Amino acid sequence: MTSRRNFVTTGLGLAVGAGAALAETRSAAAQSTDPAVKSKLDEVRARGKVIVGVTSEAPPFGFVDEKGELVGFDIDVAKLIAKGIFGDDTKIELMKQGFAARWPNTQNGTIDFGIMVTTIYPDRVLQVAFTRPYIDSGIVLVVRKDSPVKTIADLNKAEYTVAHLTAPVQEERGKRLYPNAKFLTFDAISAQFNAVKLGRATACQLDAPVALYYLKDNPEYRVLDEWLTDVTGNGVFLRHDDFKWWLFLDTMVAEMMGGSRYSDYKAIYKKWFGVEPKRARA
Amino acid sequence: MDYLASVFAVWIRLYPSLMTGFAITVSLALAAVPLALAGGLVLLPLRMWSGRLVRALAGTYIEFMRNTPLLLQIYLIYFGLPLFGLFPSEFTCGVIGIALQHSAFLVEIYRGGIEAISQRQWEAARAIGMVRYTALRHIILPQAALRILGPIGNQLIILVKDTSLVSAIGVAELTMTGKVAIERLAATLEIFVAIGLLYLLLTSALGAGLRIIERRVSEWLG
Repeated sequence: MTSRRNFVTTGLGLAVGAGAALAETRSAAAQSTDPAVKSKLDEVRARGKVIVGVTSEAPPFGFVDEKGELVGFDIDVAKLIAKGIFGDDTKIELMKQGFAARWPNTQNGTIDFGIMVTTIYPDRVLQVAFTRPYIDSGIVLVVRKDSPVKTIADLNKAEYTVAHLTAPVQEERGKRLYPNAKFLTFDAISAQFNAVKLGRATACQLDAPVALYYLKDNPEYRVLDEWLTDVTGNGVFLRHDDFKWWLFLDTMVAEMMGGSRYSDYKAIYKKWFGVEPKRARA
Repeated sequence: MDYLASVFAVWIRLYPSLMTGFAITVSLALAAVPLALAGGLVLLPLRMWSGRLVRALAGTYIEFMRNTPLLLQIYLIYFGLPLFGLFPSEFTCGVIGIALQHSAFLVEIYRGGIEAISQRQWEAARAIGMVRYTALRHIILPQAALRILGPIGNQLIILVKDTSLVSAIGVAELTMTGKVAIERLAATLEIFVAIGLLYLLLTSALGAGLRIIERRVSEWLG
């Protein structure tokens, strides 16, 4: 009996300990509301470089090229922001992180901001702050070249399966556009592609630039001509409760999208996507 | 303290989906545990076969299964079988992958338990006129069973935790449910802690059950 009682106590202790650890991280974060605490903007300028959370798993937004260097559209936008702070785009430290790690890393200040194909989504904004979108990537469905599916409506049959990413918006779109199809959910884009390639799924839903990039080297796929009409705004994300830093980053994005940095932004966009951006509302 | 309240709010909001995921994790474990235990028993005579060729083949297979990552094996089964025109569900592929690898570990535990019994016990049993089977059944196995129960329990707890790897092929078990919720709510820590506690609950229940079995068996064998 004693051993059982010990076990229960240990279990409770662990649970309480975990809760306490969570509470502690939060109270550290909450201190930033104190006006005496410096804004990230001041901290970054004093440090002399900005630490940015990025992904290496989503070409062409962020990936490792043949030379082993971390490159991509998001990386170049981050460098443009570093240039905006220091007048020098090399004063930046790129921190590769997993998709689940981006939220705690933002909240506890490990990164100054993150830019990694992150769709702005209301539930997420309860946890971290976003700038306005720096790209509306567009969403497409990818099928095998020999697939009989031609339109989104064709997919809406029980015999078809669509591979989604864990991103919440993908499943929501699926339920709206092809509710009769079966859904599969993966935590990696490569697994989505494999599923289509090997016949596990009929189609997969992807950000258009990601799909077009993969298709360059994989002619066995094709993109449905009919694009999903959804607007998908990807935003730069940062910790809540830091108005000065948020205002700086949001202004940077606004300047890129339709202001003094538009030509730089346009060049980056052309470099990675091969076309010019639709001129955004300033 | 208001942060703890917000943590509980997240947990309450996610309760239905986490329970669905938990139920699938439990089903994975319930399907894989008996398969792995039985798979080990099937492999055992092959691994201890008197003919060298069979023994070597069984040994090679077991080493391959033990020494390659389970995640890789699950991927190979899930994405490999379609090349042969077979499309078992992701759940089935997951159960097969887990059972195959863990049966390879379990057969080594079984074998270790049997070989740990002194050779003299065999000789003594044969000396009083028992045939090989009778000696195994009445002298060796009861002693071996008692010794291997602990290690088997360990292995089964690892098995239960390994069910989380099946999330890679899209089975909506506990870990996958959590990953999806993290993507939605951007509350990584809160959700991982909730998932961790649920796994702890499951493995603790399993551990408690195994201790009861161990006690019963030792009482029964005297």
